[in-house]
Formats: sequence, structure tokens, C-alpha cells
Amino acid sequence: MAFYEHTIVGKQDLSDKEMQSLIDKYSQIIDKSGKILKTEKWGLLNLANKIKKNKKGNFVHFKIEIEGKLVKEIEKQLSIDTNVIRYLTVKYDKIDLKNEFFGIKK
Amino acid sequence: MKRDKKNKKGKKFGSQNRLTLFQKPEMKFGRSCPLSQKNSPIVDYKNIKLLRKYTSDTGKILPSRITSVSQFKQRQLSTAVKRAKILGLI
Repeated sequence: MAFYEHTIVGKQDLSDKEMQSLIDKYSQIIDKSGKILKTEKWGLLNLANKIKKNKKGNFVHFKIEIEGKLVKEIEKQLSIDTNVIRYLTVKYDKIDLKNEFFGIKK
Repeated sequence: MKRDKKNKKGKKFGSQNRLTLFQKPEMKFGRSCPLSQKNSPIVDYKNIKLLRKYTSDTGKILPSRITSVSQFKQRQLSTAVKRAKILGLI
């Protein structure tokens, strides 16, 4: 078991319901054999350059603790998903839940 | 006294406009690393405000000889910038 930070960028024209279903879908996969420590919704953010004809992106951020094998499975599904533009997973030895860089402004 | 003056210069520089490739030589030399002091900000791919400061207008990473960031922190910066670029934040 290790700590991971997991961010998903959704398409710009997704509604709130579709975004919720996206979050639920991936949090269910994680819940099978790991646990979610924190979820952050960063909301619609401007992208620096166009990605797949999208100017903006819907950002969701997970802080989780699961095994490495499952990360591969999640990334496999994300790569097929048409609602997702980009994703990123980063491994950490220690995770800090205090600092939030987005969402403070709002 | 001299030391105090130097420190004040450094602080002024921090609040000034962003760094560029064509830095005045007064600001280049004799500064300690701005990221490895006690209250220095966290180097992370989510901390975009900081990363913007250490990249050029076109998105290149500024060399440490201009920003006087230490070797260790420069390595952390470069990975953080690359991660932020994947997500399209920078």
C-alpha cells in the first residue's frame, strides 16, 4: 500500500450530473481495495493551450491509498474514457492533507 | 549593517516583477537560494503561482544561474513544471 495523488481532467462541456457520475465511477473502483483520504473539486479552469479542442477543463483531485497493481487498472480505464482529456498519478511516501492550492480563492 | 542591507534587497526582489533571461547583474550574484529558507513556499506541481515565477513567457524553465536556486530545489522545480504541463496548468 502506498499513497497516491490522482488528478483527472474532464471535458469542458460536461454538466454537473455527468461530472458527479464520473467521480462516483472512479471512487467506486478505488473503494474496492483501497480508501480515499480526500477529494477536491477544482472546478472549471483555463488550460494553457488547447487539448483535444478544449479550452477549459473540469478538474478533480483524489488523495488515496491503494496498491500499485490497481493504479494500472484505473489508468487503463481512464485512457479509454471519452469524457476524460488528461490524467496524472503521483506517488508519495508521505501525504499532506492540509495544503490546498485551489479553491481558496473562491 | 551591510548584511542587513543585502537582506532587504533580496526581499524587495521577491516582490518585484517576474524573473527574465536578461537579469541585471546586481540581482544575480551573492544571493542565497530563495526556496531553501525557513518560510519558503512549497515546491509542488499544484503551486502554479510559484512555478509561473520560474518559467519564461514561452514556458521554458529558467536556468539556476539566473534564479540562484540550489541544485536540489532546481531538480524538484523541473519535475513539478513538467507535471503541471501534462495537466495543462502552465
